[in-house]
Amino acid sequence: MTAGAWLCLLAPLCGALLITALGESISRRTAAWISTLSVFAAFAGALIAFVDMLGRGHEEREAVTTAWTWLAAGEFHAGLSLLVDPLSVTMMLIVSGVGGLIVLYSIGYMDGDPEERRYFAYMSLFVFSMLMLVEAGNFLLLLVGWGLVGLASYLLIGFWHERPSAVAAAKKAFVMNAFGDAAMALAFFVLIWQTGTLDFAAAFEGAGGLSQTFVDLVALGLLAGAVAKSAQIPLHTWLPDAMEGPTPVSALIHAATMVTAGVYLIVRAHPIFELAPSIADLAAGLGAITLLVAGVIALVQTDIKRVIAYSTMSQIGYMFLGAGLGAYGNGMFHLMTHAFFKALLFMAAGLVIHHLANEQDIRRMGGLRQAMPRTYIAFLIGSLALVGIPPLSGFFSKDSILASALASGGYGRLLFAAGLAGALLTGLYTFRLLFIVFLGEPSALVREHDHGSAHGEGPWTMTVPVAVLTVLAVVGGWVQVAGIWHPFGEWLDPIAVGREHLALVEPTVTQDYVTSVLAVGLGAVGIAVAWMIYGSRKWSVPRVPSVQRTLEHKLWFDELYDAVFYNPGERISGLLRRGVEEPLIGGSIEGVTLGAREAAGALGEAQTGYLRTYALAIAAAVAVLVVVFITVQ
Amino acid sequence: MTTALIVLPLAAALLVWVLPLPGRAAGMLALLAALAELVLWVVAVAGFDFDQGLQQEDRHSWFSDLGVSYHVGFFGFSLWLVGLTIVVSAAAIGYALWVDRERGRAYHGLLLFLMGAITGVFTSQDLLLFYVFFEAMLIPLYVLIGVWGGPRRLRATVTFVIYTMAGSLLMLAAIIVFGLSQGTFSLPDSGTSSNEWVFLGFLAAFAVKAPIFPFHGWLVDAYREAPAEVAAILSGVVSKAAVYGLLIVISKFDQSVLHDFQPYILAFAAIGLVYGSLLAFRAPDIRSVTAYSSMAQMGLIVLGIFSLTTVGVTGAVVQSVAHGLVSATLFLLAGMVETRTGTSAFAGLGGMARGRPAFATVLMATGIIALAVPGSVAFAGEFLILAGVYTVGWGWAAVGAGAIVLAAMYMLRLISAVLHRAPGADVREDARDLRPFELALVVPLVAALLFLSAWPASVSERSFPGTGSAEASE
Amino acid sequence: MRGPDVSWYLIVSAILFSIGAAGVLLRRSPLIVLLSLEIMLNSANLALISFARLHGNHDGQIFALAVMAVAASEVVVGLGLIVAIARKHLDLDVDRLRVLRG
Repeated sequence: MTAGAWLCLLAPLCGALLITALGESISRRTAAWISTLSVFAAFAGALIAFVDMLGRGHEEREAVTTAWTWLAAGEFHAGLSLLVDPLSVTMMLIVSGVGGLIVLYSIGYMDGDPEERRYFAYMSLFVFSMLMLVEAGNFLLLLVGWGLVGLASYLLIGFWHERPSAVAAAKKAFVMNAFGDAAMALAFFVLIWQTGTLDFAAAFEGAGGLSQTFVDLVALGLLAGAVAKSAQIPLHTWLPDAMEGPTPVSALIHAATMVTAGVYLIVRAHPIFELAPSIADLAAGLGAITLLVAGVIALVQTDIKRVIAYSTMSQIGYMFLGAGLGAYGNGMFHLMTHAFFKALLFMAAGLVIHHLANEQDIRRMGGLRQAMPRTYIAFLIGSLALVGIPPLSGFFSKDSILASALASGGYGRLLFAAGLAGALLTGLYTFRLLFIVFLGEPSALVREHDHGSAHGEGPWTMTVPVAVLTVLAVVGGWVQVAGIWHPFGEWLDPIAVGREHLALVEPTVTQDYVTSVLAVGLGAVGIAVAWMIYGSRKWSVPRVPSVQRTLEHKLWFDELYDAVFYNPGERISGLLRRGVEEPLIGGSIEGVTLGAREAAGALGEAQTGYLRTYALAIAAAVAVLVVVFITVQ
Repeated sequence: MTTALIVLPLAAALLVWVLPLPGRAAGMLALLAALAELVLWVVAVAGFDFDQGLQQEDRHSWFSDLGVSYHVGFFGFSLWLVGLTIVVSAAAIGYALWVDRERGRAYHGLLLFLMGAITGVFTSQDLLLFYVFFEAMLIPLYVLIGVWGGPRRLRATVTFVIYTMAGSLLMLAAIIVFGLSQGTFSLPDSGTSSNEWVFLGFLAAFAVKAPIFPFHGWLVDAYREAPAEVAAILSGVVSKAAVYGLLIVISKFDQSVLHDFQPYILAFAAIGLVYGSLLAFRAPDIRSVTAYSSMAQMGLIVLGIFSLTTVGVTGAVVQSVAHGLVSATLFLLAGMVETRTGTSAFAGLGGMARGRPAFATVLMATGIIALAVPGSVAFAGEFLILAGVYTVGWGWAAVGAGAIVLAAMYMLRLISAVLHRAPGADVREDARDLRPFELALVVPLVAALLFLSAWPASVSERSFPGTGSAEASE
Repeated sequence: MRGPDVSWYLIVSAILFSIGAAGVLLRRSPLIVLLSLEIMLNSANLALISFARLHGNHDGQIFALAVMAVAASEVVVGLGLIVAIARKHLDLDVDRLRVLRG
């Protein structure tokens, strides 16, 4: 079991190092295959761990393996240790499985880019980092993985580094995530100070003995990290900009894996969140707000990838909602299905972008269904899964979260209502995109690119992963059907429900069905409205200029942050330079130098050049010394 | 053994000066000596027992009636600092050989002399001896910057000398008072002092050397005007003499004195950290950014030392090693950029990643470690420092955590300004990627950083014997 | 102990020292100044040797020998300088030789 976990972790790292070390001595295609195989080797490792774990009893499914002491000082120790349990194995399977498909897809997508080797090295590095994050056996290593995925994300968003916008987006993503990292580090300092350890089990045990303030602080720090990584409000503005990166990157990092790490963190650290219910409620609330705001903004975006990016934010909002309310299993369930259908959507969008020679503006698209029928089907299935239409995967997972919200009463009902509104929005924006891109008459751009595609809709490296994910997006939800069977929940049971088996929300069957009917109904309404506006064009698009402008500016978050943080920071920096560094510090140098020179000039006067003056001075000094010696005696 | 480590570079310096070799040959001899020193150091590490305190000592009485002796030896942490010195100096000597400095014999001799003096500083167990080595470092630096420096080298040299001399004279006075009142200048033999003025005297020298805000006036000029490899040694290694000095100080003064001054020192260190980071964010060239970031990092290290906790002090040692390697690499890279483009100003740079994969990879890796991405050795050091200082007050750790974000901002700015976007005005098409010899200089430094990132405990576990250290008591 | 009392030696030493000091302070010729310095050194030697004899140990004598060695080297340097000055046809007058003024 642990051997599989190590294989899973180290294979992509070796891939990345190998590609870097070999440099230009291997062909670009070889580098791509090294990367792909390394990620599939990781998947094999995850499978080994999974199969091994299935053969064990519930009590024996958890193992910690330590390679060496990573950091130690005084009483504090943190090992380079992996925790293998159902939760981490689930994440390993998702990350390496979806990751492998996407890296394979990249071979076709990136074909011909002069810096392909660098791209594949980064991809392998990312997969390694993400696996480090999910396999970490203590909070410190989790933070290491957390930071490294941020780094890989930075490198990949800024992959096309001649584009200033890509560089700026990469920096923005990194800095916002650094903010989250710092907040998490602060939470860990509290833990070290109060409990002396960062090992999961020991820290959870120690957290039980802390005062409410400290537990709240720890939970708040963790939540800040989770919010930054998962692009939840208010630290969400980097995600849409991150679409500057290549499309497979968006599929892997900014849809399927990295951005869902926040959810994983909440589930992993659930004992702490259970001790701090107000912070857990805050997490759920932020999720609800994000799912609404992102859904609304997605309605007006014109970049195909940005629409999907906002949709990602919105879906992660659902996961936060579920995890915050204590429905960890359902949160993880949605994480998994989302990884399938969102990666599918991105990769289908990637096929479109690839087909149209890097055009991403949906206003220039249309009628692609004729040119790309199979892509259309894949995109349609992904969209239906996203909206939550049965029997596709999104239906089961999203509804399970909403049912849990309904069952948790009071505050949960409010969130339930938000979630339902989100379902309507999801139907609306998803199918707006689908109808604009694929239906209607082919646009000028589409016609222009139509004749050149004799070899189908893309090379096999791109179409095969899309096909696999299409199947997964259909069947991925069948591992958990409300009221009928719960293998996924039982699999995660020992972790997700908590060892103490706290009384967590468990929706009744009625609640499940009420939720399903409402959510599917609202999603269908959303689709219908989208059809009327963008499909059959019977209704015109409602125009409210001020609202439209606000939404197009993404509710002015970027402008706000510029005004509150960036501009003052830059101004303070300039002020310090002009106001302190140059006059005071630089001035002090002038002063010191000038003073030294003047003092030297004054002392120089004493050097008359007359030998007798010096001799007299010596004689006088001797005389004084004689007098002193005599009087002292 | 320890004496051999000090004498080898000094003797090699003499040899390089005396033998009538051409510049290149002198450089090769110097490089050979530096590599031999590295071998000696590895032998010293192999024979070191990390569960014990001071060892591998050499002791000879010097002025017996004053209790002054030639006494050198290693603690765990000084072993790492000496290792840092040797690695960085060897790279610097190699770089000087590569760019073929004028008057090579004099230049390489001075570099070797500097190496010996710094090694002496990190091993001295007698205060007077410490002072001698501390001042001996100044002489080669003075000449190296003043003769081989940039266009404004004279001003840089004068300010550097005035600042450091002022600080070290105060320290000399403090050393004399301390030694006479203790009856011995020996560090292991003396007890602790409670004299606040003596404490301030020591602090003055180290505050200038580190530098701690507001004693950093010499910093930018010196780092900008010095030859690249001298700047690498200056920021990477010489500033760590202050770390060693402060580690002595916190072990030689009463807890009451330390705790009285702790809040003020922490405040200045924190100001330096934020101030340096903010200025680095706006600095116009590679060298200034590295200079101000060095200042910020030294502030962080001082925070760790004056947390007066084992965790914080250990973090300071880890961070010293990490920062030494990082800033030395960055200065060498700055030198390599300058030889290709004639400038290190961001205005004329950009787009160097395209077609120069080795340079891009090395700069990216160094920059990323410099901004303390989690998992890097710099992160490990920062984490320990902040975890230590958190127990003194959460505010200090919060400031430090904020500085992590600032560090991300200025390092990313540096990386982007050099590597990304369209090629800058001064970047010619034919500006070549790093040559194999240059790679041979910087890759070992980066490899050392990566090794330490995979296993920071190799330093942190082996700096202070046992869990409770002699240097810091809770 | 044979011979005069130690105080006599000291008196002679003091007289010699004063003569030397007066010579250094008052005379202008560098040659005479050097000569006067030698007188001062020798007066000090006299005092050292007489004290050595008084205390019955050899430290003073050793010290006097050291002084003689120093004096000899000093004369070499000093005379060399004077010859060099004379060769440059400069005035042999210490009041005129003041290029080292601040």
